[in-house]
Amino acid sequence: MALINLAAREINYKIVYYGCGLSGKTTNIQYIYRRVNPSARGRLVSIATEEERTLYFDFLPLSLGTVKGLRTRFHLYTVPGQSFYNASRKLVLQGVDGVVFVADSQVARLDENVDSYLNLWDNLMEHGEDPSNLGIVLQLNKRDLSSIFSVADLSDLLNHTESPVIEACALTGVGVFETLKTVCKQVIAKSSHL
Amino acid sequence: MAGRKGLVINDGQMQLIDGVLNKLQRVTGSNFVALVTTSGQPITTAPPHADADTLSLAALAAGSFAATRQLAQVLKEREFSLLFHEGRESNLHVMQVTEQILLLITFGRETQVGRVRLYTGRAVEVLKPVFEAAENTSGDEQIVDRDYSREAGTAIDAWFPGESDG
Repeated sequence: MALINLAAREINYKIVYYGCGLSGKTTNIQYIYRRVNPSARGRLVSIATEEERTLYFDFLPLSLGTVKGLRTRFHLYTVPGQSFYNASRKLVLQGVDGVVFVADSQVARLDENVDSYLNLWDNLMEHGEDPSNLGIVLQLNKRDLSSIFSVADLSDLLNHTESPVIEACALTGVGVFETLKTVCKQVIAKSSHL
Repeated sequence: MAGRKGLVINDGQMQLIDGVLNKLQRVTGSNFVALVTTSGQPITTAPPHADADTLSLAALAAGSFAATRQLAQVLKEREFSLLFHEGRESNLHVMQVTEQILLLITFGRETQVGRVRLYTGRAVEVLKPVFEAAENTSGDEQIVDRDYSREAGTAIDAWFPGESDG
């Protein structure tokens, strides 16, 4: 649900990074925070455990500047990936405009990826969201590691919406901004069809 | 669950909303009043240029309120419609206006909680129909049009730095 404030000439979009535990969602957000122009970002808020695992969400507001007289902002959120935090994931998805599904490419993480992907669709359906209204990107993370699935295999399993697929290594930043640009453009395109 | 709804606030609605917030701030003697969405996006504040990180505040208050609603469900309570945080120097009161809107008010120890609750309740009664009208507005196609999408796409390409190996 994009929020359009005509009086303040402002538009806000909400993008959620989803995926299983340790897939690299927070790493994406932290990389963006470090590399983006400080004048265009707000504070990075993290609600995490003492072991730095996400407990509720990470939040990073980004300002794109003024487009056609409208100040345009993207609010980036992550969800906690661990399976027992589903109540929190559901809450963070509320009012979402775009989803980045961050998959861990390692062979050993296949079951967790599939569980998380199915959980995403269950939670979107509970919110009454029609996926065709959302911007969706599949990011295949950890492509620098050995023992990983091919892009084709992971796409078959985790991309029934035929959304854009981007290979990444979030730790070093490869694919991080490409993912962000793609999902930002998608949510803007979709918001004109609300 | 409710389907996907847009929220478009026009100039007239915003003038009315800001008027209510300014009055609420004045009569309660509070430091800061804000309206945010339940998905964590700020709408407006009184005073308008308050010295507060409203983006973080909106995200955290919405998250906190959402968790509180879930607590109500777990406890088989129909709803917890307000949230109150008591601090040493200041307090935060969060109240639901509509399904999509929350009202935040911060005030110091010199302000009585009962006074804040009374006037906040009255403000919510005025704000509720305004936001219910805004939630049913679907005029955003004229705002987020093809030109906007194209210009935003160009801005996104130019603004975010290129790929890096860190």
